[in-house]
Amino acid sequence: MPRNKQLVLAHLWFSFLIFAAAATLGAWQMWVRSPLHAPFSNPQTYFISVTAHGTSMAYVMSTFFIMGFGYYVAETALGRAVPGLILAWGAFVVGVAGTVMALATVLAGRATVLYTFYPPLTGDATYYIGLVLVVAASWVWCVLMIVAMLQWKRANPGQPVPLVHFGTVANACMWLWTTAGVAAELLFQVIPASLGWTDTVDAGLARTLFSWTLHAIVYFWLFPAYIAFYTLSPQAAGGRLYSDTMGRLSFALLLIYSVPVGIHHLFMDPEQSTGFKYLVSFLTALVTIPTLLTIFTISASFEIAGRLRGGTGRLGWLRAIPWDRPMVLATGLSFIMLWFGGGGGLVNMSYGMNALIHNTSWVTAHFHLIFGGTTVIMYFAIAYEIWPRLTGRVVGSVVWQRRQLWLWFIGMMVTTLPWHWLGLNGQWRRVAHFDYSDPVLAWWGPWVVVSVLGGLMLLTSAYMFVWNLASLHIPAVTGSAPGPQRYATSLYPTPHVPAVLNGFRTWNLVLLVLMLLAYGWPIAQFLVTPSPGAVAHRMFGTG
Amino acid sequence: MSDDAATRDTALRMRTWLVVGTLLLVGALLAFIIIPLVQGRAAGIDGFTAICRAFGILPGSPAHPTPVSRATPQPVTQVAWTVATLAAIEGADPKHGAEVAQERCVVCHLPDGSSAGPTIPRMAGQSWFAIYKQLHDFRSGSRTNEIMSAQVTGLDDRSIADVAVYYGHLERGSSDLQNPSFVPSEVENLVVNGDVARGLPPCIACHGAGVGGPIEVPTLTDQHQDYLQAQLEAFANGQRHNDIYHRMRGVASRLTPREIQLLAIYYAGIGR
Repeated sequence: MPRNKQLVLAHLWFSFLIFAAAATLGAWQMWVRSPLHAPFSNPQTYFISVTAHGTSMAYVMSTFFIMGFGYYVAETALGRAVPGLILAWGAFVVGVAGTVMALATVLAGRATVLYTFYPPLTGDATYYIGLVLVVAASWVWCVLMIVAMLQWKRANPGQPVPLVHFGTVANACMWLWTTAGVAAELLFQVIPASLGWTDTVDAGLARTLFSWTLHAIVYFWLFPAYIAFYTLSPQAAGGRLYSDTMGRLSFALLLIYSVPVGIHHLFMDPEQSTGFKYLVSFLTALVTIPTLLTIFTISASFEIAGRLRGGTGRLGWLRAIPWDRPMVLATGLSFIMLWFGGGGGLVNMSYGMNALIHNTSWVTAHFHLIFGGTTVIMYFAIAYEIWPRLTGRVVGSVVWQRRQLWLWFIGMMVTTLPWHWLGLNGQWRRVAHFDYSDPVLAWWGPWVVVSVLGGLMLLTSAYMFVWNLASLHIPAVTGSAPGPQRYATSLYPTPHVPAVLNGFRTWNLVLLVLMLLAYGWPIAQFLVTPSPGAVAHRMFGTG
Repeated sequence: MSDDAATRDTALRMRTWLVVGTLLLVGALLAFIIIPLVQGRAAGIDGFTAICRAFGILPGSPAHPTPVSRATPQPVTQVAWTVATLAAIEGADPKHGAEVAQERCVVCHLPDGSSAGPTIPRMAGQSWFAIYKQLHDFRSGSRTNEIMSAQVTGLDDRSIADVAVYYGHLERGSSDLQNPSFVPSEVENLVVNGDVARGLPPCIACHGAGVGGPIEVPTLTDQHQDYLQAQLEAFANGQRHNDIYHRMRGVASRLTPREIQLLAIYYAGIGR
């Protein structure tokens, strides 16, 4: 059982309440873009909403969830209290303050996604400072996770770090690496320009630094899902993890291959050369390796579970898997969405094919399917798994949890598959209105309405999720007391894990080399041959 | 840890480096050597140049230079928003601006920045970047007006900046809103949403606080209806043409005369 339940609950509830509010905005945004008449519909409100939705989902909900889950893992897997409890609470308060600053600025119309990360245009500095505070809070979490691992290793020399915490620390290391890019951009370029301290901004350098963070942030979100695949799903299915080593290798590979590939977000930008664009395209392809390893390992783990439960034949074990358990169901649905989302991602990362779908709805569909689908459905499952141990209450039936997961899955597919199709047909992203009276665009209308229906399903599912969790706080709901948190054990015992797979020194060195090669010259070129600098524009307060 | 385990760990670490290094080498060879050589040959570029381009050391595309236009450029304005220009405006002296205004402006624009007639724009509270550009354009001939063109003759850049900042800092009176009256909802829709079918962006895409329009965009609220209408008509028929990229000429020429009139009423009726 976690020792500091309030710390975990504070992070997770803040995350999920922000999530529910942002989901409401998301559904309204789909309505606005459709041919149906939506209330409060005008472009200014739309872009305020898009910015609040994106900031909430991408930065706030994910970061607080990961922090809360990390604290839970550190205490339940290592059997020790979180080191630096006061620091952890301090980081929570700073993160909440940052969130309030950022969102208040957005709602005041002083920072929208149309320009906040497109220097030399800049929004109100309060927005950026709010984001920096959220990131600073997450840095505290990263350090605490690493310290927890080091303390445990010192107390248990030669023992393998529990896989679940190994994955958590891999994510913490990755986050420290990846946030360096956007932190440098904000602290040295955007915030000084926004405050009027500098007159010009090197836009190419800013875009490059932003790309440093822009891709790996996706893996920051995704990591808890992978951690759950390896350490919670096999256990929930009643089986064993097929390979502990495969899990460690996947986490390490995700660490080293997720960060040096961000330049693939600049395929259509002029400031980087074709050689580096090709190199990162090549490196991005390598990110598929840990994903394929994971799919193989978890499928094998589920096969073990299925056969232990009496499944026979080549595929008979599939039917024997207990799909009625939320964690198992979510894993299956997550894999289906990963299939579609991952396939779309292969198109995005291909230097040539990217040109076809750049800045179209395809991109929006891709990251909703991977983050909102594959990842967030696992956040739900993790919450359902750990909530009873946080509140001490167990629901009598998980039927509403299953319904919520199914509704989220169906809603996400119904929302994003039309986006993919329309994106392939050239529908651009980040616009408030389409002219459906134009015969060229008219056929988009019915597809967008389908996405609206998907959005309504997602919204319903989001509220159901919050209700399902809230019901676990109501004393009237009782059941047997939850048992201690168990993580999947490996099919083959691993009394000794090679040092390289029991720590991160080697992987951080490898990542350093990769970053020097992938980002060394692309950044150094701006210092060797400085650009004239674009005049900074502060997009608020004048007009 | 036993010696055997330590040896295995070292071997595994070396293999890690070997695998990652090999993959990186393959990627780098493809990115910087093989593909540039193959594609460079097809584009008629020598190998060395192609490799340098792949690294970004030499300029890249286009492989075949596009013809250079020899047409004489005819800019619609002489104002460029350089760091020097912006700094000059930021550091302008409103006291000197008041003196210049006293000599040249106050007869029509009055000392408090209101105006002496419905065809003369109110200056108080106007964006100083907007005032600077218009005065500059009157001086350079980019915009013409019988009275204004004569008034700005001989003003240097510094004085223009000073006057702009002087009027920009004055508080605009709101007691004399002319038309706080009803305008049809379709006009408000035009302001807020534009009309996609006609390629009309919403007015507030540029004319509104925090919406991100170009720096020289003027404030329209609480302006004289007659003045606004006259300017929209002048843009529509091309008499006024100092708008960069034809932005306002493009918009105004797609508005109906009634829409022009109603938009002028709308903005004249809104307080700041």
